[in-house]
Amino acid sequence: MTTKRYVILGIVAVFGICLGRLAVRALMNLLLGGTLFGGNFL
Amino acid sequence: MKKGKFVGLCIFIFVLTFILGIISKFAIQPSWKKEYSVKWSDEIGTRISDVSYDSGEANKFDLYLPKDNTKENYGLVVYLHAGGFTSGDKKDDEDMLAWLTSKGYVAAGINYTLRTEDNDKSILSQSNEIKSAIPVVIEEAKKHGYNIDKLTMAGGSAGHCLAMIYAYRDAKDSPVPVVFTFGAVGPSSFFREDWDNYGLDKDADEAIEAAAGLFSVMGGVEITTDMIKNGSYQELMKPVSAYAWIDENSVPTVVAYGKYDRVQPYKGSLRLKKALEDNNIDFKYFELPHSGHGLQNDDKVVKQWMEAIDEYLAKYMPVEK
Repeated sequence: MTTKRYVILGIVAVFGICLGRLAVRALMNLLLGGTLFGGNFL
Repeated sequence: MKKGKFVGLCIFIFVLTFILGIISKFAIQPSWKKEYSVKWSDEIGTRISDVSYDSGEANKFDLYLPKDNTKENYGLVVYLHAGGFTSGDKKDDEDMLAWLTSKGYVAAGINYTLRTEDNDKSILSQSNEIKSAIPVVIEEAKKHGYNIDKLTMAGGSAGHCLAMIYAYRDAKDSPVPVVFTFGAVGPSSFFREDWDNYGLDKDADEAIEAAAGLFSVMGGVEITTDMIKNGSYQELMKPVSAYAWIDENSVPTVVAYGKYDRVQPYKGSLRLKKALEDNNIDFKYFELPHSGHGLQNDDKVVKQWMEAIDEYLAKYMPVEK
């Protein structure tokens, strides 16, 4: 694999973790109320 | 590696990390939270479970007694469970009760009869059950050699509502002085215009009927649409409206509310805050600007709230040296 591809995989991984955490926050907000951004980091 | 395989690898990594992100949201908690949540063990003290305080099936409490039984007097903290008045159990707050016991307090979790489709239980009946339980809890502690001389009432959500009702409405009848109350997201008033989270503030007939129905169930009294329209329902809701009982003699208070609460109205918490201000009560009101009913998006403010609880406990119900 090239360095470029490793970088792409890294970006995808960070993106995946962030979206996973945001998805939980969005679901909790739907049930309990709250904003998607602000306060805790993600 | 061919391009197609690399794209497949990217999708696999994304799905994997997405799941890891979900897990991390639950698994990784701020380190300070551990200070306020203790796992129960015999090292902390003795737990006496399911002591009856009345004849009802749910009329039971758990008593947590600290290891050190040599003090002359002990402060009691009653922590009432959440669950929208329809669910929950005293066991849900085991970590909180263990934390309080580890600090040297006698702690108690009290169950109350939950509202179901088959009974007519209400906040009024539940608050009266709690009122009848307190003398029994104090007597039970005494029976085990722990003399109670002060009481703090606390709880979460529905439990917070019931704790405030006892602290502001029933404190005068308590066998020992109530010195402090704390909790989070408990409804303390029932003004139709505040309950916009359920659309009760609308002018439509359906909203007025819904308000009459909901408040009747909560208050344990019959409230008609006419009462909603002319405002006379407030007098009937007073027995369960904690804020309405606040006067200059009310106990110090620490509370937290989420600005975007979908379960209980944020606007109601502002009435509570105003009542505490107007009566010059020593209180701290924490507003979580990004959170809802779970106080889930503002850990920094939750930390300040817990620190304030710790501070007020030490100030108003210090553990004897």
